[in-house]
Amino acid sequence: MNNNALWIILQKLRTPLLVIIVTYAIAILGMVLIPGMDDKGNVYHLSFFDAFYFVSYMASTIGFGESPYAFTYQQKLWVSICIYITVVGWFYGLGALVSAVTDKTLKFEVMRNRFRKKVQAIEDDFVIVLGYTHVNAEIIKKLHMANMEVVLIDNDEEKINFFMLEETKQDVPFMVADALLTETLQDAGILRSNCKGIIALFENEEHNFRISILTKFLNPNVKVVAKSTYDDISKSILDTDIAKVINPFEVFAKRVDVALRSPNTLVVENWIYGNSDLSEEPLYLPEGKYLICGYGRFGKALQSKFNKYGIEHVFIDAKRLAHHSMIEEGIFVRANPDDKDILLDVGIKDSAALIVGTKNDIDNLSIVITAKKLNPDIYIIARENTMQEVSVFQAADIDWLFVIEQIYINKASMSIANPLKHRFLKLILTQKESWIKLLINLLKNQVDVNPLLKRLDIKEESTYALYHELLNGAEIEIETLLRSLKNREVNNPALPLLLYRDGEEILLPSNINLQIGDQILFACTKESLEEIELIASNIYELYYAKYGEEKIHPFFKRFLSY
Amino acid sequence: MNLDKVISGFFFILAMTINFGFFYGDIDNPELHSVYELFVALVVSLISTVLKIGDKTQLGAVLLATSLVADIQLIAAVTVWTVTEYLSIVDVEAFAAIISLSGGALLANITSVILYIGETLKSKR
Repeated sequence: MNNNALWIILQKLRTPLLVIIVTYAIAILGMVLIPGMDDKGNVYHLSFFDAFYFVSYMASTIGFGESPYAFTYQQKLWVSICIYITVVGWFYGLGALVSAVTDKTLKFEVMRNRFRKKVQAIEDDFVIVLGYTHVNAEIIKKLHMANMEVVLIDNDEEKINFFMLEETKQDVPFMVADALLTETLQDAGILRSNCKGIIALFENEEHNFRISILTKFLNPNVKVVAKSTYDDISKSILDTDIAKVINPFEVFAKRVDVALRSPNTLVVENWIYGNSDLSEEPLYLPEGKYLICGYGRFGKALQSKFNKYGIEHVFIDAKRLAHHSMIEEGIFVRANPDDKDILLDVGIKDSAALIVGTKNDIDNLSIVITAKKLNPDIYIIARENTMQEVSVFQAADIDWLFVIEQIYINKASMSIANPLKHRFLKLILTQKESWIKLLINLLKNQVDVNPLLKRLDIKEESTYALYHELLNGAEIEIETLLRSLKNREVNNPALPLLLYRDGEEILLPSNINLQIGDQILFACTKESLEEIELIASNIYELYYAKYGEEKIHPFFKRFLSY
Repeated sequence: MNLDKVISGFFFILAMTINFGFFYGDIDNPELHSVYELFVALVVSLISTVLKIGDKTQLGAVLLATSLVADIQLIAAVTVWTVTEYLSIVDVEAFAAIISLSGGALLANITSVILYIGETLKSKR
């Protein structure tokens, strides 16, 4: 495949090569034909070799002097003509060679070849990340932590240069190319069976849609994670089920919903994302009137939730229009929310909470400051669009900060790198408050305040002993894995949270016989994880955990039975 | 009429004819083989090689290959001639080697011209 690069060079060098050959031929022929004189005064004709030798060092401006004898004036006349034609030809050739090597098309071809080779060499599961942004950089880190390889494409060379300066855990093949082309996606290895996902979080959501469709046709087994916040595109993606959609506004609206219904769920969610531990106080939203600044995608997503719980609310937006009836009912005010008088008019003094959700971070901060002045006790929820101003937002003393980029990072990396965790999280979000409280207590008492979440797949590579026992028809309960190896009567601090078997999800599995192919999500500590893995992979430990006695090698058994 | 085709066809055939001109004559008689002819044969052969570069078709690749063969044979002939002359060991054996090398180059050039004619005949325009 390197041919392409070679052909480009050769084609560009055609004319320079012709010029060099012709000028050399003329110069050499002239030198041979023109009579010279040797040191004794005899007529001497240069041989072809003499001429070739002389012209070679003349044209390349090395200039060793006149050889084999000093030239006559006739020869010098010819040489002075030759100097100009051959030297110019030679430099033209060199210049053309340099420009061919630095040519953009050539560079692209060379880069593409290298990229393709690197992608072909990936043996583990990998994910294609489109575009190098702050969010994607974090996603790449998280994917690497989950031992997945990453392939990066961006059509901006500067961003790729910037990426090259970053340090990544694993080598990331990258290419400067247009990700919207099928060819580029194929180069990135989308057709390969170990390509597990593709992440398209472009600002332009048409792009994301396009990537989803292309991927669907190229390789339906690849999971697409696409950003989509506009209803029409989201709908067409969801209807055709070609991608997993991330809509941060919906995500947040759902969290508000969960917070209103069962505040403890958010504690568990934050723990799953690794943001905090289980000792965190749940977040109780205040009761009363809610003011919402911004009636765009964000406001509309929230509106349905407020209506569902019958919470009094007022939207303030300077640019957008709302339905006529909303204005009449007084739940929409068309004004600039960053205005003291407007805030007073809508009743900030007796409101319980303020949700600041415009797409401009500075506006958001400014509104927060104004509101705090008017009503210091008000509960503030703020939207932060980019993570660049994170320290400013932290300093603003906001009760609940909702970082859009963080949602992309968490959602995208988890749904691809940890699908089991993702399933668990989805199940949790639909549970009742009492169930969640029970779960938190169970985890705190049985495991730890900040348990690890680990996945165990029952297959030969990861759980050798278990796999072979099950293959031989043994019945092993999930509890067997939890036994302490020091004392079988005691359980290790671990809790199986989810068992996934052929599309079936079992929350908090107990008294269930394991099967080959099961995926289990454990909450555990570092020590208990070690024992679980030991039991699963070591036949002697598994035997002990199951029967409470040491397994004796059949060879010794024969001796002992005598 | 395509000027490119005229020029390249001219050089392909010239390479063959000059090569033949040098090759023709008793293999062991240096007087029948002009060194100038060998020089021109090599130069024209090099030019026709460069003209064949850049055609990525199957036929273009074969044409380029035949041309490279001719170049290598002619360069070998020139080298043998130069070396033997400067070491003053020009004998019948060395000279026969020079001529037979150019004979090989002639075969390659003939092949190349046949292919070129074949392609021209096949062309619809």
